[in-house]
Amino acid sequence: MSDQALTYLDANSVATEGPAWLDVRRKAAHASFADAGFPHRRVEAWRYTDLSRLMAKTDWHPAAPHDGAVLVPEGRSNPFSSIASHKLVFVNGFFRQDLSELDGLPEGVEILPLETALERGTKFESAFDANGPEAMAPIAALNTACARDGAVIRLNEGITLEQPVQLIHYTPDGGATVAHTRNVIELGSGASMTLLEAQIGWGGAYLVDRVTNLNLGERASLTHVRLEDEDTDAVHLSTVLGDVASNASYKANTLALGGRAGRLQSALHFTGEGAHAESNTAYLLRETQHLDSTIVVDHAVPGCTSGALAKGVLDDEAIGVFQGKVIVAPHAQKSDAKQMSNALLLSRDAAMNAKPELEIYADDVQCAHGSTIGELDGDALFYLRSRGIEEQTARQMLISAFLGDVLEQISHEVARDALTERATQWFEVKKEGEV
Amino acid sequence: MLEIKDLHASVDGTPILKGISLTIGDGEIHAIMGPNGSGKSTLSNVLAGRENYMITKGSIIYKGKDLTELSIEERASAGIFLAFQYPTEIPGVTTMTFLKTAVNAQRKARGEDELDAVKFLKLVREKAKELKVEEDMLKRPLNVGFSGGEKKRAETLQMSLLQPSLAVLDETDSGLDIDALKIVADGVNRMRAPDRSMIVITHYQRLLDYIVPDHVHVLAKGKIIRSGGKALAAELEASGYTDLTESAA
Ligand SMILES: Nc1ncnc2c1ncn2[C@@H]1O[C@H](COP(=O)(O)OP(=O)(O)O)[C@@H](O)[C@H]1O
Ligand SMILES: [Mg+2]
Repeated sequence: MSDQALTYLDANSVATEGPAWLDVRRKAAHASFADAGFPHRRVEAWRYTDLSRLMAKTDWHPAAPHDGAVLVPEGRSNPFSSIASHKLVFVNGFFRQDLSELDGLPEGVEILPLETALERGTKFESAFDANGPEAMAPIAALNTACARDGAVIRLNEGITLEQPVQLIHYTPDGGATVAHTRNVIELGSGASMTLLEAQIGWGGAYLVDRVTNLNLGERASLTHVRLEDEDTDAVHLSTVLGDVASNASYKANTLALGGRAGRLQSALHFTGEGAHAESNTAYLLRETQHLDSTIVVDHAVPGCTSGALAKGVLDDEAIGVFQGKVIVAPHAQKSDAKQMSNALLLSRDAAMNAKPELEIYADDVQCAHGSTIGELDGDALFYLRSRGIEEQTARQMLISAFLGDVLEQISHEVARDALTERATQWFEVKKEGEV
Repeated sequence: MLEIKDLHASVDGTPILKGISLTIGDGEIHAIMGPNGSGKSTLSNVLAGRENYMITKGSIIYKGKDLTELSIEERASAGIFLAFQYPTEIPGVTTMTFLKTAVNAQRKARGEDELDAVKFLKLVREKAKELKVEEDMLKRPLNVGFSGGEKKRAETLQMSLLQPSLAVLDETDSGLDIDALKIVADGVNRMRAPDRSMIVITHYQRLLDYIVPDHVHVLAKGKIIRSGGKALAAELEASGYTDLTESAA
């Protein structure tokens, strides 16, 4: 039993007065999290990110609905706003119908808030049973016990959704508030869509915790583009738990800029042959920001390919973490897994922790992993400056080039440009700060 | 244009240049020849302002001003251009983007209007054609995977776009076959102008058949040990550097 967890759950868990299938799971999750507590650095999978310490000494309580206008600070707006989309908007974790766009959904497509889906009697038993690997299970339990709302996106077999779906979360209010959201995304066989997700906050000290259960049917395809841009006092957790069936494909590209501390974790599990999953993250940190990017890929069946690439730019005293784990089951021959972490340290006081782990029980596999930690290339900087390019611009060009492997891979052109622009803004803040 | 007096310079604490004096008038081309390791690239890096190259003694006056007071990029905008012996590969930055950024950075620094995308593209296409630089090369990351010849042509292209007042060409001929050498030399010759001076650094006399210098200097062990007219290059070709270097020692 953990007192910290009990106190937290007392204040923030959801009353079990929903549908019976959910109450059972909420109670079990409550008990399991009360027992395990917030993961701390003596838990191997959390040794670089001590969530227990990050959550300590704060009187956490649920965020309240924010009903009025949402005044997003300059430069922090939804980067995908110009893209015609189906859209779900959450503010402080509460669904805002008035800001969302859900008209004209094609046949065979369900996009709605979780709360509404539950009221309609939809069951999400398997999603709420999926706790992911050990590294992520405590957070999944915490989320199950505390999540009030979230997004449900379901595509029937064979549906190709032309417009992307946007999931936008704003956190305008803080003061030790928490918002737990649960997303459930299910794509039937051969269905495909693009998900544009942005988590933007400026409310000060708050916790946002979002768990997304993905279930991709055979030959389904999900492109997932994310921006994580939290207040520099905020703690954020984002967990993706995905099952990927045969010949299905999941591609995630994330730009993470914010937060006092954050953990972006994904557990991707192949359930059928010939599937592909990749999760690529670019993160830019300064001051004492901390970002942990953790991925577990489970090649449980033969013939799947996976990739994880983390590219971090760390300034000041920022700390980056990459933990990548590949599991290849004994019979999962012809698995192909790549994991790479590259960190660019702009300051002597920044630090990077990279931990690759391979658990390979099959022999006919290709697994590559590596990590590099370096500084900006002095020769390249000199070359650019010798052509008249100012030092600051030259640095920015080299850093953008470094991040290109993640950001330029975003297949949705407008989204790609929007996130590239966001990354560029990051330098400009620095520039002003230095003047 | 340029007046170097008794220049001493160290690289990472090791003295390399040991008293170089050189005066270059407007519109002149000076060739600097010398064996490997004599300090030719060091001199060009010192002129461009590379940070770990320390001037320990002497002066460099460029257009009447102390060059050493300018930052790397200020020197570039003031008209100094170094064609690198080994151009740096810069992954992730396309050549075209780089060229546009460089041209406009210099224009801005000089208080001129920046070129818009259309004007810039027209200019690049024109210059690229002269130097037989394929459009495809401009779409590739800067110098990455370029052959030796492509790198040198890319350097020459940059020079012709940036229109410097003082160009330092550091072994721009190395690694080029005779056809490529002619293309590059033609590019350089087209840029000869009464208000533009050049320092042509080379190991071989061959380049100087195409870019005919006004003066030739021989650098050995960080010092200019001989200066003369263009005939000196031919003389060196015949006798080699050995005699000269030994008499300097
Ligand atoms: N970074 C460095 N640190 C110490 N010595 C160097 C460095 N770079 C070059 N040198 C030395 O300086 C001398 C001159 O080099 P360089 O200017 O490149 O000669 P050149 O261009 O004439 O062949 C050589 O002896 C070389 O070994
Ligand atoms: Mg040299």
